[in-house]
Order: sequence, then C-alpha cells, then structure tokens
Amino acid sequence: MVTFVQELVNSLSVASVIILMGIGVTLIFGLTGIINFAHGEFLMLGAIGVWVLVGYGLGYIPALIISVAIVGLIGFLLERGLFQFTLTRPNNGFMASLGLSIVLQHVVIRIWNSFSKSIPEPLPGVWEIGEIRFIKMRVVVVVVTAIVVAVTFFTISRSRYGLALRASLADRQTAALMGIPIRRYITVIFTYGSAIAGLGGALTIALFPVTPFVGSEMIMLGFAVALIAGLGNVAGVVGAGLILGLVNGFSGAYGTPEWTNAYTFGLMIVILIFRPQGLFGGTMGPAIE
Amino acid sequence: MTDPPRPSSVRRPRNSAWPSPGALILTALVVIGVFAFPWLNPGYRALSFAVTTGITAIVLYGMAIPFGQAGIMSLGYAGLMGFGAYTAAILSRDFGLNMWEAMPFSALIAALAAGLFGLPSLRISGHHFAITTYVMCELLRIALINGGKFTGAATGLDLPPIGTVFGVKLDKLSNTYMLVAAFMFISMLAAYCIANSRYGRTLRSIRENEQLARSIGVNANMHKVGAFMVSGLFAGVGGDLQAYNFRHISPDLYGGATSLYFALMVMLGGPRTLFGPLAGAIIVTFLPEVMRIDPVDSRIAYGLALIAVVMLLPGGVIAAAGRFYQWAARTLRGARAGASSTDPGASWT
Amino acid sequence: MATLEIRDLRKTFGGVVALAGVDVTIRSDEILGVIGPNGSGKTTLFNTVCGVYRPTAGTIHWNGVDIAGKPAYAIGRLGLGRTFQQAMSFPALTVRENVQIALEHGSRREDRAGPQWSSAEELLEFVGLEGFADEVTNVMPFGNLRRLGVAVALGGRPAQLLLDEPAAGLNEGESVQLTHLLRRAHELGVGICIIDHHVGLMAELCARLVVLHFGNKIADGPTEDVLNDPKVVEVYLGDVE
Repeated sequence: MVTFVQELVNSLSVASVIILMGIGVTLIFGLTGIINFAHGEFLMLGAIGVWVLVGYGLGYIPALIISVAIVGLIGFLLERGLFQFTLTRPNNGFMASLGLSIVLQHVVIRIWNSFSKSIPEPLPGVWEIGEIRFIKMRVVVVVVTAIVVAVTFFTISRSRYGLALRASLADRQTAALMGIPIRRYITVIFTYGSAIAGLGGALTIALFPVTPFVGSEMIMLGFAVALIAGLGNVAGVVGAGLILGLVNGFSGAYGTPEWTNAYTFGLMIVILIFRPQGLFGGTMGPAIE
Repeated sequence: MTDPPRPSSVRRPRNSAWPSPGALILTALVVIGVFAFPWLNPGYRALSFAVTTGITAIVLYGMAIPFGQAGIMSLGYAGLMGFGAYTAAILSRDFGLNMWEAMPFSALIAALAAGLFGLPSLRISGHHFAITTYVMCELLRIALINGGKFTGAATGLDLPPIGTVFGVKLDKLSNTYMLVAAFMFISMLAAYCIANSRYGRTLRSIRENEQLARSIGVNANMHKVGAFMVSGLFAGVGGDLQAYNFRHISPDLYGGATSLYFALMVMLGGPRTLFGPLAGAIIVTFLPEVMRIDPVDSRIAYGLALIAVVMLLPGGVIAAAGRFYQWAARTLRGARAGASSTDPGASWT
Repeated sequence: MATLEIRDLRKTFGGVVALAGVDVTIRSDEILGVIGPNGSGKTTLFNTVCGVYRPTAGTIHWNGVDIAGKPAYAIGRLGLGRTFQQAMSFPALTVRENVQIALEHGSRREDRAGPQWSSAEELLEFVGLEGFADEVTNVMPFGNLRRLGVAVALGGRPAQLLLDEPAAGLNEGESVQLTHLLRRAHELGVGICIIDHHVGLMAELCARLVVLHFGNKIADGPTEDVLNDPKVVEVYLGDVE
C-alpha cells in the first residue's frame, strides 16, 4: 500500500510534465491550427536553460523563471518570424517545424554536447506522512502543474476572454469582421503554450537528467494526450494525461517497461481512427477557410 | 455562339509526351556520372556512403508517389524499409534465402504494411495522419526491440554476404555500388512512368481536388491506399538491399527519426521532379559525409534548408533550379514582354 | 430516358433539419429548375443525392437502382453527374488533363450513359474550350472555369446532370452562353437539373420548376404555373416579377 501511494505520486509527477506538454499542444494545435512538431524542443530548451543557469551559480527558482521567460520569448519570435506565415497553409508549417526541431536539437548539441545533463536536486529530501514518504520535488512538480492547469482552464475555458478567444479562432473570418485581433490572440496562445512547455522542461530536469533529444521523446506523448483527449479541451488533457501517466508509471514499476509508450501510441491511433474528436470531445483543429 | 476570349500572354507548358532534348541530355549525363563514379577512385568511405545514398534514393522515389502525386505525407517510411530489411534477414536466417530470393517477399510485405499504415489517411487529415505514421513507425521499433529471438531484439540480426551473380562478386564494394545504382535508376524510371501515366494523373486529381475527383467516378480511397502500397514496394526493395549491404540491421535504424530524415530529403530535393529525390538523398546523406562536414553542423544546415525550401522554394531544390535555369535561359535569349510560366519549373508532372 | 426518383428524403445535421421529406422525380428528357431562398436545402438535396452526405431517411432510386448511402464515386460512375456551387477544377492541371480524368473514370454503362465522347478534344470543342487545352486551370478567367466545370461533369458521360448555380458569378453575356451550352448538352441526351437564383434564366431555360423552402417542396410543376403560384411568390419571388 505504501509503495502503491509512492508510485502514485511518482506517476503523477511524470504525468504532470506530459500534461504540461499536452496543454501546449492542445491550445496551439487546437485553437490556432499551427502544428509545431518542434514543440517538444521548447521543453528541451527550458530544461537546458535551467541547467546552464544553475551551472553559472543561479538558484533553481530564478533559473526556472528566467528559462521559462526565454523559452516564451523564443516561442514569440518563432510565431512572428515563421509560423504566422503558415497559417493559411498549415502543412507548410508542419514541414517547416520538422526542420526546426532538427535545427534546435543540433544547435544545442553544437553549443554544449549531446550527453545527458542534470542539476543538483533543488529540493532534496522527503516528506513523511505516516509511513508514506513523498519525494519533495515530485510533489512540487505536481502542485505547480496543478496551478498552471487551473490558471489555464479558468482563463481560457471559462472566462469571457477565453470564450471570445475560442470563438474567434473557430471562425476567423467572422471574428476579423467583428474587429477581434485574431493575429494577436494567436501570438498570445503560441507564446503561452511554448512557455508552458519550457516550464515542463525546467521541472523535468529537477527530476531526471535530460538529453537534447528529450523533446522528441516527450512531444509524441504530448500529441498523443492532446489528440486522445480532443483538441482544445484543457480539462480533457488533464484527464487523459493522468490516465496515461498512471499507466506509464505503473507499467514501469510493475509491468513491462519496454511496451509503456506503445500503449499510449496504440491508443492514440485507435482514437484518431474511430473517434477523431477525441475521447472527451474537442475540435479537430480549426477549419481552414 | 461566340468563342470565349483567348488568352494572349500566358505561356503554355510544353505539351509533348517526350521529355525535351535538354532533359534527355541531362539525364544521360547523370546516368553516366553515376556509373562512372567508382572509376574516379573515390575511396572506400565515399563509395560506401554512395551506396547508402543510392539505397535511400530508392525509398525516396517510392515516396514520390503518394507524396508527390497524391499529396499525402507519411512519416513511416523508415518503418516500411524495416519491414523489408527484417523480412530479408529472417528469411535468410530461417530459410536460407539470398537477397534475390528474398526481394519479392520484402517488397510484398512492405507493400502490405504500407497499405495498412495508409488506411488511417482515409479518415484523418494531412498533419494528423503524418503524426500517426510517425507513431506507427515508433511502435514498430518498439515491437522489434521486444521481439525476442525472432527479431533479434535490440541487438538486431546479421546477414550473409550478397554472393555472386553471373560470376560478379557482389560483396566487392564497387560492384555493390553498380548494383545499387542500377536499382536506383530503375526506381527512378518506374516512378517517372507511374507519375506520367493515367494512374499518376488520377492521383494528382485526388491531390488537386478530391471532392471533384470523387464526383466524376474516382475511387479516391482505393487510390490512396494503392499509392501507399506502391511506395511500399520501393521501400521493401530498399530494405532488402540495405540489409545485405550493411550485413547487420537493428531496430534503431527504422524509427521515427529516420523517417523524418527521409521526409526531409524528399521535400528538400522535391518530390515531383525527376532528380529531386536523388538530389535530396545526395545533399543530405552523401555530401556532408564526403565533404567531412561535422554531422551536427550539417544537420543544422539541413533543418534550415528545409525551412527555407518549405517557405521560399516550393517544389524543392531541383524545381527551383529548374526555374532558375528557365529564368536564365529567357534572360539570355532576351525576355519577351508578358511571358510568364505558370508551371512550377522543371516538374515532371 | 433516365429517371431519378427521390422519395421522402430527409437530412439532418445535428439539430438542423436541412431536408424535411422531399419528393421529386427528375427525368432526363426535361430541363428541371430548382429554386428557393437561401438555406432552403437546394444544395443539400444535390449533395445527399450524389453521395456527399448520407441521407437520414428516405429513398433515392436512379434508374431503378437504390443509390442512397452509396459513395460519391460510385454514383458518379452510374451516370449521375453534378457541378458545384463554387467553381471547381483541378487547379495545377491543364484543361485537357481535367477532362481526361473525367473521361477515364466516368460512367461506363453505354446503355444508359450519356454522350460518348471519343476524345478530350471532342469534348473541349463541344464546350468551346479547345483553344485552352494546355492552359493550367488555376489562372483561367472565371467564365472559362465555369465552362470547365460543366465540361468535366460532361466528361463523366452522365445521363443526368445536377448543376448547382452554374451561372453564379457570370455576367449577362456569359450566362447566356452557358444556357446555350446546357441546351445543346440536353439535345445530346443529357438530363439537366439546375439550381439557380436568376429567375429570368430559369424561366427561359426550364420547362418545369421545383421550389424548396426550409427543406420542404412547396411547388412542383410547369414553369409558368409555379412562378404565378401565390405561395411561391410570397416565400421567394416577392412582388418583383
């Protein structure tokens, strides 16, 4: 029982990072229609940023904040400099993002190297409640993710601003005619999603070592979670992410670790074919024209 | 009833069943150049990379059919090649079949897998489908790693040498090179014939306007899956050749990342030009190794090149080169006022 | 002579009832017009009959064959052709290639099919586009694009053609040319059923009219009678004659 709860928390922390990726994907892909295969690289950059800054002697928290801000800035620049030109031809954006992910990975390898990088535990130790020991850092990851999810959910899914945002992204022509600044919304969403991915990376490196390829590993899980839940559905991402994180975690501890990702991928394919709007309902991406 | 007004300034693409003399000469030069390569004493390393490049080009010519003609991108081609390679390896290990005997099996199994991988494209759109194929490729890789003794697990499988054909020792590298070059040109020719056939035209109609195509009787679903299966044949042959060339295959050769590089190559070179796939393979696989460019730097360059090509040079490098050539030819001849080409350059379709 | 029998056809999209039980018989020996206000279900009718949508209820028989729910390409091959509200073509292909594709895939039933074109050139000459055979269609003027839409549909060798606002966007002269083209096609044996808003054009071209309103058929008869029907005048024509 004790082990079970500990495994639960561990799985939750892994699920948290996947959820953060999934939120970015679901917002960007689902609401703006930009398909950014390099989204995983934002996670990687967030992690590397923290590693670099901590290496220069910064504390973990300032490093995290600065790193996330930088990733957000990179996202902003990419949206303005590249993706905004692909809005009417999303397949071009997708192909360009394939190139972008290769570039980002290898620029990092060029500047540093391809070996795995880690930082000293920012919050070592455990909390004990009764017999159960919770690794402090993992709990922090879960809590931070929960806060981000709540903020995102209430801003985008519930507030009037969020409603206008989603409506206008669903029907761009009408919204533009109504004077809603679509382009600005798209930029905001893209930057926010990228920053969240960066945050995921900053949290990940506090838990595990990271290589420049961590982005490719996580992006597929992020896509899987977002597509399984239904694009644009933030609550759905949480649900799907929890389920998958738990499956991953428990399969790692008790079952067959090699097949872990296979379950996620298999489920994603099945859902895409038989229920493309996702388990919990969502868009399939905004209509083009 | 009066005729509709005739256009005056729009230049028509050449309407002829045969390629132009310029294209034929260029093709002849390329063929000669490729076959003459070993005699230039390139050295073992360069020759070896050339073989790999040639095998890759075979797969890329297969990709040109569903991607270039029907317009559907798949990121699963490394997996299809893997089907071909592992089929060859397993048939060699368990039944003693050699490369030639295994080839039809490799091609067929890869074609069936391609049809299967392609089925989701009937239900889901472009980028969703591309992601699905990437994921399926990764699933295959996981399955291979966990396949125990059957697939050799993470270590992989070994293969015997290709052997002798008509007295020619094919495990000598320069002979292997010739063999691969021959297969590559056959693939190029096959892809060209398919693209310029009635079948190719049907695929293009699906790419251009699927709804209209359906309304006039085109069974789009069947054609899409069929196009994938055809591309699988090429990938299977490539896998068989690769397995015997490397003498050792392992799951990591056939994952999503490799598929990404295939897609990159074909997009860079251009999927709808005769030399596009070959150029893409050369630029990405051959040039940097032979020019001893640091692999990390070269990948940064490809990524940037791909972004540039996608955003600025639709149709790939070869098509852009073709346009440039036409522009240069016109400028040297003296431009006629109003003449403009509506066709994207040296496209074969 | 080919017959299209539509009985009690219903089509709903979620909560929206686009077709509320439509009964129409379309014969290939007449030119039939379908008119009605926007949103009355005209395009949905064509789309459902031609396999773009699956009917929610009702039957569709084309020459005795039940085609309800069949895929669009199968219906095209049976000799029931259509054009689309937006001018459609295969943009990067030439005019000749556009009709070639139609000829290669269209109806093969010679007993019931429409005109048997022997070549792309013959068909292009019929519609007056033979001078444009090598033009790439994405830069063609709109009037030619509309003609091409009809040519491609004719290339499928249909016994019956359903045309969705084929003159939309054409000027007066081009509209007249288009009606002449449709008349000549009809003389070759192709049934013509046409949706349009231009009442003058419909009155001139069509012997019989069907009027749709909110997914229901509210009139069906000879043109003159329908145009004078008080219900139709109230719902669609207004007081302007």
